[in-house]
Amino acid sequence: VFVLLLSVATVVVASLLSVPLERWVSRAAGWILAVPLVAAAGFLAAAGSPVSVWVPWMPTLGVGIGLRLDGLAMLFALLVVLVGAAVLVYSARYLGSGRSGSFYLLMTAFAVSMLVLVLADDLVVLFVAWEATTLCSFFLIARSGPRAREPAIRTLLVTVAGGLSLLTAVVLMIVATGTTQLSAVLADPMWTREPGMTSVIAVLLIVAAFTKSAQFPFQAWLPDSMVAISPVSAYLHAAAMVKAGVYLVLRFSPAFETVAVWSVLLVAGGLFTAVFGAAAALRRSDLKELLAYSTMSQLGLLMALVGIGTEAALTAAVIHTLAHALFKSALFMLVGIIDHQAGTRDLRSLAGTRLRMPVTAAATAVAAASMAGVPLLFGFVSKESMFTAFVDAPGPGWVPVVVTTGAAITSVLTFAYSGRLALGALGGRTGRIVPEAPALLWAAPVVCAAMGVVFGVAPFVLDPLVSSATAAAAAQAAEVHLVLWHGVTVALLVSGLVLGTGTALVLWRRRVETVTARMAVPWSGLDVVDALRAGTIRAGARVAEWAANASPTRYLAVPTAGLVVLAVVGVGGIGTLPPIVGDPSRPLDWMLLALVAVGVVATVRARTRIAAVVVVGIVGFAMTLWFFVLGAADVALTQLLVEILTVAVMVLLLHRLPSRFAPDSTGRRTPAVVLAVAAGIATTFGVWALTGRRDISPAAQYFLREGPETTGGANIVNTILVDFRALDTLGELTVLGVAGLSVAALLSSRRLAPSRPVRLNEATPLSDARTNSVFVRTTVRMLGPIVVVISLVLLIRGHQEPGGGFIAALVGGAGCALLYFAAPSDAEVRIRWPYLVFIGAGVAIGVGTGLVGYLDGSFLTPLHTELFGISLTTALIFDVGVYFAVIGVVLAAFNLLGSPDRPPPEPDPTPGEHPEPVEDTRRADTVEVNAR
Amino acid sequence: MTVALTAGLLIAGAVYLFLQREMLRVILGFVLLGHGVNLILLAAGGTSRREEPFGTPDDPSTVADPLPQAFVLTAIVIAFSITIFMLVLAVTGGKDDDLTDTREDQRR
Repeated sequence: VFVLLLSVATVVVASLLSVPLERWVSRAAGWILAVPLVAAAGFLAAAGSPVSVWVPWMPTLGVGIGLRLDGLAMLFALLVVLVGAAVLVYSARYLGSGRSGSFYLLMTAFAVSMLVLVLADDLVVLFVAWEATTLCSFFLIARSGPRAREPAIRTLLVTVAGGLSLLTAVVLMIVATGTTQLSAVLADPMWTREPGMTSVIAVLLIVAAFTKSAQFPFQAWLPDSMVAISPVSAYLHAAAMVKAGVYLVLRFSPAFETVAVWSVLLVAGGLFTAVFGAAAALRRSDLKELLAYSTMSQLGLLMALVGIGTEAALTAAVIHTLAHALFKSALFMLVGIIDHQAGTRDLRSLAGTRLRMPVTAAATAVAAASMAGVPLLFGFVSKESMFTAFVDAPGPGWVPVVVTTGAAITSVLTFAYSGRLALGALGGRTGRIVPEAPALLWAAPVVCAAMGVVFGVAPFVLDPLVSSATAAAAAQAAEVHLVLWHGVTVALLVSGLVLGTGTALVLWRRRVETVTARMAVPWSGLDVVDALRAGTIRAGARVAEWAANASPTRYLAVPTAGLVVLAVVGVGGIGTLPPIVGDPSRPLDWMLLALVAVGVVATVRARTRIAAVVVVGIVGFAMTLWFFVLGAADVALTQLLVEILTVAVMVLLLHRLPSRFAPDSTGRRTPAVVLAVAAGIATTFGVWALTGRRDISPAAQYFLREGPETTGGANIVNTILVDFRALDTLGELTVLGVAGLSVAALLSSRRLAPSRPVRLNEATPLSDARTNSVFVRTTVRMLGPIVVVISLVLLIRGHQEPGGGFIAALVGGAGCALLYFAAPSDAEVRIRWPYLVFIGAGVAIGVGTGLVGYLDGSFLTPLHTELFGISLTTALIFDVGVYFAVIGVVLAAFNLLGSPDRPPPEPDPTPGEHPEPVEDTRRADTVEVNAR
Repeated sequence: MTVALTAGLLIAGAVYLFLQREMLRVILGFVLLGHGVNLILLAAGGTSRREEPFGTPDDPSTVADPLPQAFVLTAIVIAFSITIFMLVLAVTGGKDDDLTDTREDQRR
């Protein structure tokens, strides 16, 4: 068990070390990083037969980091780490001399996620790892340059769609079986008891597997992703990631043995993709594209094998997975070398070069021959076992005939394109000479290709691995003996036929090419993906259009009308109400109601901006009284201060706006009145029906009972803010800070509208700001220190009496407002304080206090101490954070909005007429023209 | 009943204002909306108990619910910062409604 964890940990460490290592030795990091991967393979082999480990991750949901190493997991895990190591060694020479830290990081992160994916014994872990491989693939494609952007996005879209399908399947399985443990899910009786559910899950899993393994109709992304560099193609798009789909269906095949839709979809989809991909590969002249279509085709065969699901078929799938990983990763790396040395990987250009690359050429020939299924190579062994399985496929008599024919056609085409690849790439006899690559570059692919020869001649060395993998996929004991010579069987006859026809196709390849050149499909899968993507975006725009557009009226009306409709529906379903508790209305309330009514009506009917701002203040002060009457002293204080500051900020901006509102048109007024009245009635009814019909809430009882004792503070509202629910408050501070930052960002990218003309009677002292402000200035000089003291007192006493960080900061802010208004001009205001630092400090103090809370258990737990007889609490420090954040926002408003006008933009600067910087808001020159 | 009526009045005024053309009236609409919603929050705690929640009370049945009060306190400050943000939007917009003069409007 320990060794199992060790193997994963080794790869994780490799991933963590990749970036610093690359900094240190640049691209040679590949060699060093390959070591832990090989070590991980050693650990896996040492861990031996079925072991599993379960580390709780989300215990309340029953989710754990479950890992399980059985035969199937072992096969795929070894593939992942060993091919990964080979590709890393190859990369160390393949990459250019530029920075490659992100490449190594992503490759090793991919190795981790792929390893976790195949070892996962928990459905949630499986899904997370699945998505992680998708993301690694996306980033690895995307980092290959600007040309790779679109392919990367398309790949991501297709594979993420498959991921969603897998997620749905995972959720259904967890709901149906009540556990997230993969091995328990597979053993659940649900699969036989609920055939409907089983079929749905089967289809969802197949969609996921088909997207990952590029099976029809999700095949388009794989050739598209060939813009990525060769190591990425070799590892992700040949050996590992595309095999995740195969792994998934192999892993779940015990559950779906008897499910018709599973077999039919896998066999039909797989065989179609196999034939289609092989035919497409025959037409390509770009070697990497050829290999991509070939991969698609070979994976199709694997899918079909799993669909057939007999022991022989699963064995063949296991063997072919291995064979394919070896020859395909070798070929991708070799094509990369050819590309690297010759500067092209197009068959047409390669015909005009002479490759003097004996080792590369030999390895390419061997790997291609293995892909073609030539005897004495591993590809032959796998192809032979594949035909054996297809010939013995269960079902009606036509099934074996059809599947064997399909597989045979695929194999003939495979033989043909393998020959085309090998002869086309290496067969150039004229043109410039291309020299051999350094040994360190060809070493890794040569090893992969050589393994094909070893396993081809002595396949029996794989018996234990293949047997245990098959046993895991078939959920029953399996004994597999791989041999080179089966005797004369149907499978051998088919193989012979394939070899003969294939050789003929290779010999007459020129004629074949003229035929295939005409077989162009009118549309490509990529167009379909692009059309779907554009269509989805268009449809989204259309749906959103009626709610989200440039007119605030429209998008504010839609939700309001929706709420009114909800209220009407609610009236129907409300049933009988419990009686109202106590007496919720007092005589004084009616006066406040009248006051609010006056304020609201006046605000609605105001014709000038300044009047509207003033009368909305009536409502604000009426609300202050309301809060006092309702027993919320702190809230009332806050409301009062905010009301003052809101008016102060609005006054700063009024001189930049026209003075009058446009006259209401009846066309706009009538619907507005109707909606407003409806919303008002709905609100009144809702509040009357849904509140005040119960005794004091349990939460309130708790706070009243425990508050003073646990926190040492008597002001319960304040203790809720800084002790009990400090996390909420911290969130709110952050919102405040973001609002302040947004104001700053907005004003740094867009200018304020210019001030509008003010017509002042020059004869009165009012026209001179300096004389005019003498009185205020004098008052401020006396009041200033008092305001500061009051603010501090309020902050400190907040825990016991009305006050606290919010209120204290607003008092301080009001002091700043006073300073601002006392200054004779914007340029002379003495409040240019670093408001962003204040905001940042506020949030930082809040978070810092939170971290201190870990000393006593958890984030934001307040700590209390006695010092010299005074009880101290970290909640007070938290409140200081609140203070800083709030005053930072107030300062931001005054500093940013009260700043002098920047010079107006000159849309068409004519030479000789430079824009003059305008000094102050109180200018009255050119703008006179606009004045009423 | 009084609280319900006040809230309804505030919301009606808010909705009328934010269906208007000028950004400033939309903002004032939001200010009224904030008042209305704050009042509804306090109403959720019950408005028949109106003693201020200080210390451990002798008779909890007359004390106001402190939890909605804490919510409303922060809500007021956040509404303030959002109001500032919207005000800035109102005076930075290129062809914002607010910046169009009435007379220009009539000329069109």
